[in-house]
Amino acid sequence: MTGRAVADDANRLGLGGRIAMLFAVGGLLVSSLLATSTLVLTRRQLVESREGAAAAMAVGNATRLSNQLTPDSTIEDLPTIVDSLTRLEGGQRIIRLGDDWLPAPELDRDDLPLDLLKRLEQRAAGQVLAPVRGEPHFVVGIPLTAFDADYYAVVDLVEVSDTLDDLRIILLGAGAATTVLAALLGLWASTRMLRPLRRIRGAAEAIAGGRLDTRLGPQADPDLDRLSDSFNEMARALENRIHRDARFASDVSHELRSPLTTLMAGVGVLDARRDELSERSRTALDLLVQDLKRFNHLVNELLEISGYDAGVAALDLTEVDVVRFLQATVAADPALVLTIPPTTRSLVIDADKRRLARVMANLLDNARRYGGGATAVILEHDETIRIAVEDEGPGVPETERHEIFDRFARGSTGGRRGDDGGTGLGLSLVAEDLRLHRGRVWAEDRSDGRDGARFVLELPLNLTLGNPEVEW
Amino acid sequence: MINENKTEDPSMGQHRGVSTRILTVEDDERIRTAVRLALEEEGWDVEETASGEEALEAFTRQPADVVLIDIMLPGIDGFEVCRNIRRLGDVPIVMVTARSDSHDVVAGLEAGADDYLRKPFDPKELSARIRALLRRARTDDGPPTRIQLGQLEVRPEEGVVRHAGDDVHLTRTEFRLLVELATADGRVLSREDLLEKVWGYDYFGDGRLVDVHVRRLRTKIEPDPANPRYVITVRGMGYKLQA
Repeated sequence: MTGRAVADDANRLGLGGRIAMLFAVGGLLVSSLLATSTLVLTRRQLVESREGAAAAMAVGNATRLSNQLTPDSTIEDLPTIVDSLTRLEGGQRIIRLGDDWLPAPELDRDDLPLDLLKRLEQRAAGQVLAPVRGEPHFVVGIPLTAFDADYYAVVDLVEVSDTLDDLRIILLGAGAATTVLAALLGLWASTRMLRPLRRIRGAAEAIAGGRLDTRLGPQADPDLDRLSDSFNEMARALENRIHRDARFASDVSHELRSPLTTLMAGVGVLDARRDELSERSRTALDLLVQDLKRFNHLVNELLEISGYDAGVAALDLTEVDVVRFLQATVAADPALVLTIPPTTRSLVIDADKRRLARVMANLLDNARRYGGGATAVILEHDETIRIAVEDEGPGVPETERHEIFDRFARGSTGGRRGDDGGTGLGLSLVAEDLRLHRGRVWAEDRSDGRDGARFVLELPLNLTLGNPEVEW
Repeated sequence: MINENKTEDPSMGQHRGVSTRILTVEDDERIRTAVRLALEEEGWDVEETASGEEALEAFTRQPADVVLIDIMLPGIDGFEVCRNIRRLGDVPIVMVTARSDSHDVVAGLEAGADDYLRKPFDPKELSARIRALLRRARTDDGPPTRIQLGQLEVRPEEGVVRHAGDDVHLTRTEFRLLVELATADGRVLSREDLLEKVWGYDYFGDGRLVDVHVRRLRTKIEPDPANPRYVITVRGMGYKLQA
């Protein structure tokens, strides 16, 4: 498959979608980064201030406790002293005096972090952030140097985590909003960015549709201006090339038709005087007549095809009454049965009668050669017009239903190039003529389930062409 | 006015012992010779010319009964030859085109040709076209000898058309077209009907022959050809002549 751009499956989203996606991902990353660092910093700030407050209070309380203790104080004296100490919200204290421990209402010695206990055994103060009963707590331990006693303050961080939870929700919301906004921004930007591309696409489609003189105007952006220049240059080259091809086809047409005219007139004279010829000469003349006909046919079809390829094939539109057209088409063959909806008297469309006649002739010819002759022509119409040609031959195998419309395709039952006069171009011309009429053609099984091929032509009821100059 | 002495039935290529003369213009010598041989085989008398200038000179010297013009000619082209000969008389003109685009066909008809053929053509088909063009206006089923439509007066048998009392000069084909429309009693005739009656084509003839001839006819008989009063186009059906 040369000349066909290969699209990556992952890129199916489209440029606009991908840009919007990129913006969204960027928004998500930036907002996540901001949220995370905000959380970390806030947390550190909150924990540190809590720690600071707790440590300061613990030092103050330990000093006050030390001042109020006497060498004779026992563990029973402690609660009264402790009551006079400053309390911190969410804070508890545990005090060791000799071998006795004054536990807090909810905590006792076993809840204290081991390494802090060890540190105080060395008579050194310490503070740790450690889990106590599964929750993070800040624990300060201060040895009372004048006595054999230690003061422990245990402060929970519930307030901190509550604040952080709230913050987390706020940041999550902000992050989501940022991501959505970024996506919308991306969509808007891509739409703006793709607008010139859409103009280029429109121009390319116009050229593909046959309006070869389509050009892009100057662009506001210098990058796009270069693109538009290249595009116009390409369009100009294409137009020149196509016109050259068309001229060539026209010249070839003239060159081939002139000798054919001489041949046909000359052979016509011989044919008129065939009685004067010998048996052998007559046989030779018959061969000449037949192959001249075939040659003429082939030249006409090749020229017709070159017309499509050069994009110069145009419709000569006239009013065609499809009913009368089909009646005239089947008139020559008594074996053909024409079926027309009972209420349809006439059905006038704008069409190229010559091309339609050739389409029908080719389909009937095809049926004659591969299907033992067409047996039925059926007209149906609603929003479109459908003309079906049926035969009672072997039908068209499912696998060949597309390729039979290719040039020089003959199908599995074909391949014999005998005296049938077929050029192998007929069905491809049918497809091209239908395309010119904004219609289509396809092969299918017969609708009544019997053996045979059914070729269906579909034509629009109202043919509107982009090129009004062919209309008249 | 239709020239009376040219409306004889020439179906055998001869009348009163005098052959119907066909003037051909074709620059390709081999085609010219082969076509002459083929036409002579059909019983016509052929005069060959190789250029437009030669053809005009030959026609001025002795008008032919039918002219066959190739469009692609060196010097003055087929369209110009056609226009000049049309100025000189009502003789039926058949254009021959080798090009496949349709502009040539329309331009040829507008230049005054009565019919056209595409190269390569079957010489039998050419003879059939010539015979059809030489046919006399249809009078055998006894249409009225005088048809009056407003200020338009048509006399089929005499080959006379008058508008407001003045003679209108029509070519043979234009006249036959008008007579077919006039004898239809206001019925609509489809392009195919007219192709068959006037040109002898079957259903698959080129409807543009009718369209261009109707246009030409209108410029001659309509007071305002852009807003026809006599020859009316009936969308989706064809043409009719309105009283």
